[in-house]
Amino acid sequence: MTRVTVRYDDASVRRFLVASVVWGIVGMLVGVIIAAQLAEPALNFAPWLNFGRLRPLHTNAVIFAFVGNMLFAGVYYSTQRLTKARMGSDLLSAIHFYGWQAIIVAAAITLPLGYTQGKEYAELEWPIDILVVLVWVAFAVNFFITIAKRREKQLYVALWFYIATIITVAILYIVNNLALPLAHGLKSYGVFAGVQDALVQWWYGHNAVAFFLTTPVLGIMYYFLPKAAGRPVYSYRLSIIHFWALVFMYIWAGPHHLLYTALPEWAQSIGMVFSLMLWAPSWGGMINGLFTLRGAWDKLRSDPVIKFFVAGVTFYGMATFEGPLLAIKSVSGLAHYTDWIIGHVHTGALGWNGLMAAGMFYWLVPRLWGKELHSKAAADAHFWIATFGIVLYGVSMWVSGVTQGLMWRATTADGTLQYPAFVETLVAIRPMYWTRLAGGSLYFVGFCLMAWNLFMTIAKGSPVDVSVEVEVDDAVIEPSVSPWKLLFGQPVLMTIAMTAAALVYFVAKLEGAVIALTVLLVLLVVAIVQWSRRSTKKESERYHPMIERHAFVFTVLVWFAVLVGGVAEIVPTLVVDRAVPKTGPVAEPYKPLELHGRDLYVREGCYVCHSQMIRPMIAEKLRYGEASTAGEFIYDHPFQWGSKRTGPDLHRVGGKYSNLWHAQHLTDPRSTSPGSNMPTYAFLATARIDVGDTLVKMRALKTLGVPYDDARMMGADAEALAQGKYVSDDLKSQGFEVAPDSEMVALIAYLQRLGHTAPVEPKAAAATR
Amino acid sequence: MSVEDPTRSREHATHHVYDDIEEDDHPLPVWWLGTFFITVFFGLGYWFWYHSVQAGESLAQTYEHEVAALPKHASISAAGADALKALETDTEALVRGGAVYAQNCVACHGAQGQGIIGPNLTDGFWIHGSDAVSIATTISEGVAAKGMPAWGAILGDKKVLDAYAFVASLRNTNVPGKTPQGVDAQGNAPPATN
Repeated sequence: MTRVTVRYDDASVRRFLVASVVWGIVGMLVGVIIAAQLAEPALNFAPWLNFGRLRPLHTNAVIFAFVGNMLFAGVYYSTQRLTKARMGSDLLSAIHFYGWQAIIVAAAITLPLGYTQGKEYAELEWPIDILVVLVWVAFAVNFFITIAKRREKQLYVALWFYIATIITVAILYIVNNLALPLAHGLKSYGVFAGVQDALVQWWYGHNAVAFFLTTPVLGIMYYFLPKAAGRPVYSYRLSIIHFWALVFMYIWAGPHHLLYTALPEWAQSIGMVFSLMLWAPSWGGMINGLFTLRGAWDKLRSDPVIKFFVAGVTFYGMATFEGPLLAIKSVSGLAHYTDWIIGHVHTGALGWNGLMAAGMFYWLVPRLWGKELHSKAAADAHFWIATFGIVLYGVSMWVSGVTQGLMWRATTADGTLQYPAFVETLVAIRPMYWTRLAGGSLYFVGFCLMAWNLFMTIAKGSPVDVSVEVEVDDAVIEPSVSPWKLLFGQPVLMTIAMTAAALVYFVAKLEGAVIALTVLLVLLVVAIVQWSRRSTKKESERYHPMIERHAFVFTVLVWFAVLVGGVAEIVPTLVVDRAVPKTGPVAEPYKPLELHGRDLYVREGCYVCHSQMIRPMIAEKLRYGEASTAGEFIYDHPFQWGSKRTGPDLHRVGGKYSNLWHAQHLTDPRSTSPGSNMPTYAFLATARIDVGDTLVKMRALKTLGVPYDDARMMGADAEALAQGKYVSDDLKSQGFEVAPDSEMVALIAYLQRLGHTAPVEPKAAAATR
Repeated sequence: MSVEDPTRSREHATHHVYDDIEEDDHPLPVWWLGTFFITVFFGLGYWFWYHSVQAGESLAQTYEHEVAALPKHASISAAGADALKALETDTEALVRGGAVYAQNCVACHGAQGQGIIGPNLTDGFWIHGSDAVSIATTISEGVAAKGMPAWGAILGDKKVLDAYAFVASLRNTNVPGKTPQGVDAQGNAPPATN
């Protein structure tokens, strides 16, 4: 028996915590601003302050800056205590902290300037992406060194969730951000296109929610909730079951963001059924959190920390019930593209992430700075203001989403739309946009109240670095189990067999499916019997406690669990998609000017409010035209299907309006569409495209497989200018003067091309004059 | 912490303690396990029905059926010139048509029909034909190349006829606005303006 003194690195925790609060204020303030812009478009003051550019800033700030720093604070604090070891390397801790803040600052500068990859929550351009990966690797190495030198042999459930977070986020982030930078500048084109890009993006997007906003915060819950409540965690076996079910199943659920789209229907069905199956594993976390409080419910009245945790976990339960519900195809048919989804995310983000963060901060700050919380009353007030804000936000978005969803699909007996003008459906929900602004503002005020409260506490206290005496028992000789034996232990082989049977079931037709299903069910029964007999063994000989002591095996198993779903979905789509153009209309590559226009569409964040994906529904056919097909998007790097229709779908907008209409509409959206909340894009008329960049862009796309021939590429500049002249001449003939190489002309050329499988020759205005 | 807590049942305790956090091992709640199994079996069954044996309609098939069931639009010219002429004096049609115009046409043709993006409707000159059937057809079928939507599919025939009645009533009211375009009923171009 030897005693060692461990001095925890609490300075890093303090840094991350303060950063989280500061960035939380910034991110939420931007959220309030863009909510106001949706209610009142006159608040779009300048190009770099337009909704389309600020919305990505908001999402990136609250996800990566606010929750990111919060989870790092929680992970650093709890990991050290659960392993009885100081963080692996102070240098890596510092690189992690300052590197992450540098990423955030870079994001805050580049996003308003319009540098974006045009994919939600993956907007950051390639240099920042590389920095993200490097910093994340520093974090991972730091974490795993800590695990390696731990003095507590067995890994507590919180650490399982941290392991899952670290390895999965790395995989997701790298794959989804694979891009080819242009020869100069910050711009890049993603390597995937169209349907493939959509699938990879939502595999990433959904699992950013899962493995950045959920699993680390569950780990944090498993540490801080029992700590704050002073009660034992409810159920160890529930932890095991819901952990593995969650990490295995979450990764499959991404396609539920693409229901009714041109994604192959088998992938849609996989996304839907796995989302439904996720309901119970998600609730496993909620149950383990809430039931941990049994016997301590009285603290709910007296302790603000418990209040925040209980409400946070409850909102988690609500969001993870609503999620599977929204993933049902027919429900998605109504809710997709509407504010219902916005309400859903914010129940999770404000309710789960925001309240868990607040609970953790209120618990941590007095301990990290050695001073009682400045004002318990203010913390209570924060709780009620925040909760009321969330309710206002959620309810207004439900009302808005369902109202608009129903109005979009309402048809009359003679087969026409009841509300043919899109803007009618926007005007109808405008009051809800003001209500949402009120709810979001309340939440923001509550958060600022917390920041003040924490600041006052910190100002009175001084940093406390905790040291503990740890007894290291040298006498205990660990039974040495070979990692290979554990990696291919009975439960693992069983899982592999069941996964194989399930995959056969998914692929096979009738007879094969029946056989595979039978095998699957038999294996399931055997597994349940085996599981229920585990108590006949001594704990140290049971499988799961053994891998809990073997961090390497545990990590490898998590790695496999998350890879299965991704590989099973993405690889077939990458292979099958080669055949897609044969099944639908064949796209032709964009003409040079249209390419410039498309890049502007991406730069301005048009995808934030406009979809380019007409779903196979009668109301959509009437409103937007024929349903979109996969073959039409094969040259779209990146895909721009969007996920929200604050404005109408644009996939077949080409040719629907005259060039003049577009010019007027971009200059003053309300002149052509009274009641619209679109920002004005008058500045596009004076800004010029860089025609000299045309070749650079086309070369990059050609490398990615877009068939531009060399001769045409050599004349690309002239071709772009010629097309620009067609459009500007047409506009000029009707009294709208704009340069052929203006950004407005390029964007109009792109918009007029949308939905035409072959580029439409711009009609010479003279012919019809 | 709570090891000596008398209110705590020791029945489900494990001996795991991590940084003073104890871990119990309660059985999985039956309703929770039931929910889990139901969703798993629903998932397997859903796949069997829609994909293994393809007994259920795919989204594409449903869409095909819906499209097939869509009422067909009769060509507006089937109404005939006489019926269109009669509408021009139907005061109720004019009122309804005014409402349709205000909601759908104002943005491009102006509140008085003076023309903004679209042509002036108050002069005697027409780009796509000045007779009743031509005007009604232009409204119904649209002119894709010039950005005039095909309103028949959007509004339905009844509203298009009402809109025709209103538009016809604007003719020759000569509201100052966009320069005349097209030709008049005799095929003459508008006089040149300075």
